[in-house]
Amino acid sequence: MNLELRDVHHVYAAGTPFAVEALRGVSLGVEPGEVLGIIGGTGSGKSTLVRHMNLLLVPSSGGVLVDSVDATTLKKSELRRRVGLVFQFPEAALFAPSVEEDVAFAPSRLGLDEEEVEERVRESLRVLGAEDLATRSPFALSGGEKRRVAIAGVLAMGPEVLILDEPTAGLDPATRERLLALIRHLRDAGISVVIVSHDLDEVAEVADRVCALHDGRVRAIGTPAEVFYGNPELAPATVRVASLLKASRPELGDPVRFDETLAALKALPGK
Amino acid sequence: MQNPGTGTRSGGSLAVSCEELSFSYPGAGQAALSKVSFELCPGEYVGVVGPNGGGKSTLVRLLNGLLRPDSGLVRVSDHDPATEPFEVRKHLGVLFQNPENGLVAPFVEDDVAFGLENLGVPRDEMRDRVAQAIRAVGLEGYERREPHTLSGGEKQRVALAGLLAVEPEVLILDEPTSMLDAAGRREVLERLEALRAEKSVLHVTHHLDELLNADRILVLNGGELVADETPGRVLSDPELLRENRLVLPVVPRLALALGLPANLKTPEQLAEAILTRTGSETRTG
Repeated sequence: MNLELRDVHHVYAAGTPFAVEALRGVSLGVEPGEVLGIIGGTGSGKSTLVRHMNLLLVPSSGGVLVDSVDATTLKKSELRRRVGLVFQFPEAALFAPSVEEDVAFAPSRLGLDEEEVEERVRESLRVLGAEDLATRSPFALSGGEKRRVAIAGVLAMGPEVLILDEPTAGLDPATRERLLALIRHLRDAGISVVIVSHDLDEVAEVADRVCALHDGRVRAIGTPAEVFYGNPELAPATVRVASLLKASRPELGDPVRFDETLAALKALPGK
Repeated sequence: MQNPGTGTRSGGSLAVSCEELSFSYPGAGQAALSKVSFELCPGEYVGVVGPNGGGKSTLVRLLNGLLRPDSGLVRVSDHDPATEPFEVRKHLGVLFQNPENGLVAPFVEDDVAFGLENLGVPRDEMRDRVAQAIRAVGLEGYERREPHTLSGGEKQRVALAGLLAVEPEVLILDEPTSMLDAAGRREVLERLEALRAEKSVLHVTHHLDELLNADRILVLNGGELVADETPGRVLSDPELLRENRLVLPVVPRLALALGLPANLKTPEQLAEAILTRTGSETRTG
């Protein structure tokens, strides 16, 4: 699906002395089958922004369009099935006695038959490498396992857009790599993924486009190379190394991902 | 802590000691911690790393008395957390991952005073200790700010000030930067670095780059202590890194892959090393 935000403003506690304008006119599209990375400092509006994508928050002004249709005219339950949102620390919402029951909770309310629900639970646990956890209690799992189970619960809804808010916070590097591989896999299967992260190295590895927010506004949007080389203070370690060398070594180009950067550095003459 | 007679600085006393410490969660097949032994000496800064499920959180909970060991011994400043929790909490402060969960009071200074109020510290002394703790984390001028208006890094520094006001000798940092952006992370790490001389620190993290200056790094995996080494040895042991699902930070990883030393920490250092090498080799070639 095509998801579009048009000039979205959001004011928390509007009309009170505590009013805070968290978004100040954000326009942004999420294209089918892309990974969009959203970066920005704490308080820049990242979480507020993604909560508009399934109308968990309604814009104070501006609009959200799904395939060019005003999202407020769609059925909310349908919109939220199509646009799945995984919150920060989603494992806090695990509640069922077993992993498979927890993952089945939402899809079993879609009116699917029992077999279809079971199939979806199996498939989403498989995609997350958590099939061996199916009969365990979610409360006896490690942090990384809980996170994967919580994401499986949203994936089992069959979303067309999957939004992940800081999905790797608190995960060990190997589990993080696995989650990034999953994101690429979902993208290749045609699902759009929006990833909110303060880890620039991680966004550099996985994003097709990057949107940098600052103070409730879009500060830069484009390919990772455009955004990071255009704004060195936002750049991940790979780009910072390459930027420092580019003045004397313009042949380096604009590498972003670790592998690209390593290959470009290895290709420098004199090696 | 200043008086050697009270014990904390005397020769035999350790900040933390664990001997053959074991713990299993009810119903779990595998032990969460299995015969873990280590010591944290006064003034040491020790990192704790390892995969999710390795036993890091369990260790923190045994140290602050939230869990009781199945067997083995744990002591914090010579006190047993399971039987003397109130004594231990005067000596031990824990900084948790998510600063949102710990801030309770309407103003920063009240929040920093919260722990002292519970200890029954007289008002004048409380005022001094709160002011000093706020200075130690660089938040002078923030006393009357409301915690919810602060950035993540500032909130985490408020939480740290609340710990420091209680004047514990031992600090446990349980992934204190994982919810922070790059700037917030830097702020908090700088403040922690400044405390090194005065406190004994156990720093749990997934970011090896936060531990490059630590005295030692403990690696926990599958509930067992599999390494207790200097950062230099951990970073240069690819097998240890791989087996424990540790990943080098981007800069040293690039450096190693280019055949340069892994102790290059910043993009600037790496860029300079690359220029030096390619420059000189171009000339000789």
